[in-house]
Amino acid sequence: MLGLGIESTAHTFSCAVLEKTRKTGKILSDVRKIYRPSEGEGIHPREASRHHIEHSSAVLSESLSEAGVTIRDLDIVSYAAGPGLGPCLRVGAVVARAISSYYSIPIYPVNHAIGHIELGKLLTGAQNPLVLLVSGGHTMILAFLNKQWRVFGETLDITLGQLLDQFGRSIGFASPCGKNIEELANTTTNYVTLPYSVKGNDVSFSGLLSATKSIASTNKPDACFSLQETAFAMISEAVERALSFTRKKELMVVGGVAANKRLSQMLQDVCKRHKAKFFIVPLKYAGDCGSQICWTGLLESQTKKSASLEQTFVTQSWRLDSVVIDY
Amino acid sequence: MQLKILKRGAEADICLATWNGNKAIIKTRKPKSYRNPLLDLKIRKQRTLKESQIMSEVKSFGIPSPVVYCVNVKKAEIIMQEIPGTPIHDLQESQIILLSKIMGRLVGIMHKNGIMHGDLTTSNFILFNNTVYTIDFGLSHKTLKPEDHAVDLRLIKEILNSAHAQIMNPCWQNFLSGYKSVVGTSQFARITNIVSQIESRGRYATVV
Repeated sequence: MLGLGIESTAHTFSCAVLEKTRKTGKILSDVRKIYRPSEGEGIHPREASRHHIEHSSAVLSESLSEAGVTIRDLDIVSYAAGPGLGPCLRVGAVVARAISSYYSIPIYPVNHAIGHIELGKLLTGAQNPLVLLVSGGHTMILAFLNKQWRVFGETLDITLGQLLDQFGRSIGFASPCGKNIEELANTTTNYVTLPYSVKGNDVSFSGLLSATKSIASTNKPDACFSLQETAFAMISEAVERALSFTRKKELMVVGGVAANKRLSQMLQDVCKRHKAKFFIVPLKYAGDCGSQICWTGLLESQTKKSASLEQTFVTQSWRLDSVVIDY
Repeated sequence: MQLKILKRGAEADICLATWNGNKAIIKTRKPKSYRNPLLDLKIRKQRTLKESQIMSEVKSFGIPSPVVYCVNVKKAEIIMQEIPGTPIHDLQESQIILLSKIMGRLVGIMHKNGIMHGDLTTSNFILFNNTVYTIDFGLSHKTLKPEDHAVDLRLIKEILNSAHAQIMNPCWQNFLSGYKSVVGTSQFARITNIVSQIESRGRYATVV
């Protein structure tokens, strides 16, 4: 079965073609164009959606030609219906609807966050993992139980990605700032005490953000280093608590912040102590991509009928723990 | 003395021991290699101190908890009474539903006396000899702030909603009724209102 997936929830516009044979999937192409705001600024939804519109047709044709298929070969088309930025989501939905209605191809709206998890499972081979989803939009610890992903811990305010981006922008980096912060953090080992806020399995980052901004005026590298050490230790502790509570024997890390080396080093350490297997999504597929949407759509098509055009919604708020999964 | 690790928890190792002829456990917060040493030392010391103090204090207003025998802050170690019962988490569903009311009442008593537990999960209540004991006070605080109490409720709600999803509704209703019976109607309304506020601040909660 051949699917096309379209991702446009935030800064990335991406189209991917995957082939599914029974339980295995093969990525035939995954083409992306990423909107880059200027330094010190975040994503402007209008500008990002304009970027997506401008690149949509080129990205689509490239993904098809790279996969060596034509639109008529496709069995289904899926798009990210949320959660994300309204104007950006609409671009992907319009492209998907156009293809679906013109070529009469079944269409599937997909939850973006479930996409991160499903692609992670496909690529890492994790069977029954505790999942840490860390990105610009999410910071959640999840486990699958009775047809739904259940939240065992999450951020009570901003996400890990937002923490890094908002701090990074305040010292002049352009989003996404994770890589720049990591590089600057690696130049020092001087730890400055920052607020550490773990509430059971939950974390809260807003106080940490303000405190880090205020120490950045004296020493930027120290601030980056201390921010990483504190925030990642908080996440690691929350994961450790959830591992011990759920007694899961696998941990899978997905989402854009999974690319951070210091974080994955800490989490590996946690897994060692709890004798859990550690899985991390390959760097290339950590960030937002069409593959995650395509694969989830292909999985859904096993048990669900495609959506009628009136049902092809987009929604900015769509929690992944509200999605019923019966494939 | 050879120590056998009984349980390796998220935060600490639990070993069996004896103290003046009584069965005891040693809870040691071992250094975590992933954490920056400065931060690690601070956290381990602080939590050992908090846990031992508050675990003793809650007894004065009737919360069953382990007796503290000895504290070594330098080693981040507490020797305490062993409660050889079963965590609520591992009981049968019908029992969990029933005992949710007791958990609610215990949390209400703690809050009324200005204690926030900070780590309310079904693993941190142990049923032993028909009594529910509260354990793991490492994240507890002395606070009368309604927001802090609401954080406590939100956490146990999250746990019921995830680990005990099938029986979430009866458990949560029982928990709330136990809690309400202690704190009173007006305080109850105040706290649960803040719980809803916290939930609405959650990522992608249905607000837009």
